Amino acid sequence: MELALIFDLILLITLIALAWLLLASSDIFRAVVLFIAFGLLLALAWVRLGAPDVALAEAAIGAGITGALLLVGLGRLGSAEHYRGTRTRLTFLQRLSAPVLIGVMIPSISLILLLELSLHASATPGQQGLVNVLLDVSGTNHGVTAVLMNFRAWDTLLEKGVLLLALISIWSLDQARPLFRQNDISPQLTGLARLLLPIMIIVAGFVLWQGDHAPGGAFQSGAILSAGILLAILVGYTLPTRRQGLSLRLLLAVGFSVFLLVAAATLLSSDYLLKYPDSLAGSLILLLELVATASIAALLAAAVVGGHPPDDLSKPVDRSSAVNGGQT
Amino acid sequence: MTELYLGLALILLLTIAIGLVRILRGPTATDRMLAAQLFGTTAVAILLLLGQAAGNSAIWDVALIFALLTAVAAVTFVRRKDIDSTTETEEHDGTD
Repeated sequence: MELALIFDLILLITLIALAWLLLASSDIFRAVVLFIAFGLLLALAWVRLGAPDVALAEAAIGAGITGALLLVGLGRLGSAEHYRGTRTRLTFLQRLSAPVLIGVMIPSISLILLLELSLHASATPGQQGLVNVLLDVSGTNHGVTAVLMNFRAWDTLLEKGVLLLALISIWSLDQARPLFRQNDISPQLTGLARLLLPIMIIVAGFVLWQGDHAPGGAFQSGAILSAGILLAILVGYTLPTRRQGLSLRLLLAVGFSVFLLVAAATLLSSDYLLKYPDSLAGSLILLLELVATASIAALLAAAVVGGHPPDDLSKPVDRSSAVNGGQT
Repeated sequence: MTELYLGLALILLLTIAIGLVRILRGPTATDRMLAAQLFGTTAVAILLLLGQAAGNSAIWDVALIFALLTAVAAVTFVRRKDIDSTTETEEHDGTD
């Protein structure tokens, strides 16, 4: 047990040091790499805290999409690799403010937290007992999935809405630009993608199905799939132009729309929002998870691509010509 | 046996903490990126050991996802370097 304590302490110190270093880094690329490392260690921390569900989500999002998203964003900043913030000379008061803030805020926050902790000396199991009692009627065999998809499905519905809204905001800003030049893609990259993509799809399916009785589910599965889509884009695959219109939008919206339909249907039939009939609960959760996975994968990948598809699909605008150039 | 697994995981965690130096000092962007990739591999090993120590197969799933997905960031990095390969002057990097 001593070893576990030492492990946790070193993990904690490294996490805090990483957070500090990446926030204080003047080199943005270095900050991005530090953030990728931070995500790795954060997943370890969730595992040590006994929350494999969160660790799984952190791994799927942090390892795959976040790093790629930040690197792509950095590329958009122009010659970003050498971009550094300018440093101005601080006045005496500005110099004083940091030690005062740190010297006063951190001790007082620590004190308040310690007082709080001493009030709740024994850790309470929360709603675990209640969830276990109701698990039989939830339509799934895993407590977290039961909470996410049944007991608190309302939150999950809104989460899907937030994702969709985020993408609508991104699309409203600009038209998608080519992420990368489409020529000279190394054969090793293509080979890697051919090797990895099928495994990613299988693992995404496995994680989705596993959500029924163990950590897993739509969000983790969708994040893995979106990493797969991103890998495909990186090695030069493109969505056919005829699919960039209605089909793409349907795919992006299907998760939220079906969830909304189910919510409306349950409201009409039972007077309670998202109160599934007991006999149908399992099938409904599976349906919602399936469409949610598809939408999450498409939404996350579209967010990395950034910007909406060209308006006039028959005639790609010059900037996006490289995106569609692969098919000519 | 649990002690052995935890001890090994601890040593691997220490190698990550020491490896941070490579991310901080560079000197080139590739050094930093490869250090992060190495951390990914180390994290997979740590997760497998923690899973063995705790007897929890869900932790192995986390390791599986890491093993699969860390490559995506590296591929993004490689492809992104293509686009601004004309501005590759990194000798004066990491000197702050």
